Amino acid sequence: MDRRAILEELKKVLEPYTENKELLGNIDEQTDLVKDLKINSSNLVDVIIDAEAKYDVEIDFDSAEKMFTVGSCIDVIQEKVNK
Amino acid sequence: MNGYSLQVKPQRRFSTGNDIVALRATQPDRTSLPRFYSRILTVAEQELYDRLERPGLAFDHYTWLCWSIKESAYKFNKRNSPELVFSPLRITISELLPPASAAEGYYRCKITCGPAILYSRSLLRDGVIVTVVSDDPQFTNTRWGFQPIGSSAHADQSAAARALVLQELQATLHRDDLQLQKDEAGCPIVLAGGLPTGIPVSLAHHDHYIAWSFNYCH
Repeated sequence: MDRRAILEELKKVLEPYTENKELLGNIDEQTDLVKDLKINSSNLVDVIIDAEAKYDVEIDFDSAEKMFTVGSCIDVIQEKVNK
Repeated sequence: MNGYSLQVKPQRRFSTGNDIVALRATQPDRTSLPRFYSRILTVAEQELYDRLERPGLAFDHYTWLCWSIKESAYKFNKRNSPELVFSPLRITISELLPPASAAEGYYRCKITCGPAILYSRSLLRDGVIVTVVSDDPQFTNTRWGFQPIGSSAHADQSAAARALVLQELQATLHRDDLQLQKDEAGCPIVLAGGLPTGIPVSLAHHDHYIAWSFNYCH
């Protein structure tokens, strides 16, 4: 999967936890999940678990703690998908 | 302004951290799955639950209590370490003392966060977990509180939390020229007459609740 395809699927993962859905239309790799999308930090574990299901991958703890921007999420998912 | 002269020296390492979890906004079934709680609780913390004398504390509530403690500790430390990333498993709870009864008192906790030892107090009542963290086990200079609000919209919660803590600060400092800003790490700081006071503030909100804490030493 290329980064663009991962991003499109990632939007679906983030959607339930993003209050203002319009923000998802303008996200880029620098977008911070908490600061920019206003995702409550209590939902970050949900995002990781949903991403695991969406991409059929296992995200280890060390990788999970890097997933705080859209770009870093794509990095981790791309690495796991292409393993 | 009432003429009272505020004399608070900026203290670089002075901090505070808080968090709030509205349990009705969590998913008990999902929280109780090992693949979920194992991202929050270390193995030792999972075992701690079995040893805990816990009046009516369900496992999913325990998981969110630990989350709240760890998030508060992270916010406490981030003020002095802006590069810090929240990683629940790197913040460990070594002691957790329940309140005398489910209805009264705090859960008190000792936390290891890197080289630092921190302490927390958590209230668990009315479906809400509210936590504050300090490096002072007595919490001598820590003020904290929470409040329900009508809206769960992010912008409304944020504005309400800021307004509430400013109200508390004005009552404590007897000044009406206080403002909240964020420092370079994104942590709230208090200005008086446009100048930094060194008083650290922490704000939290979740679902229909807001919470605040600050540290103030006369």
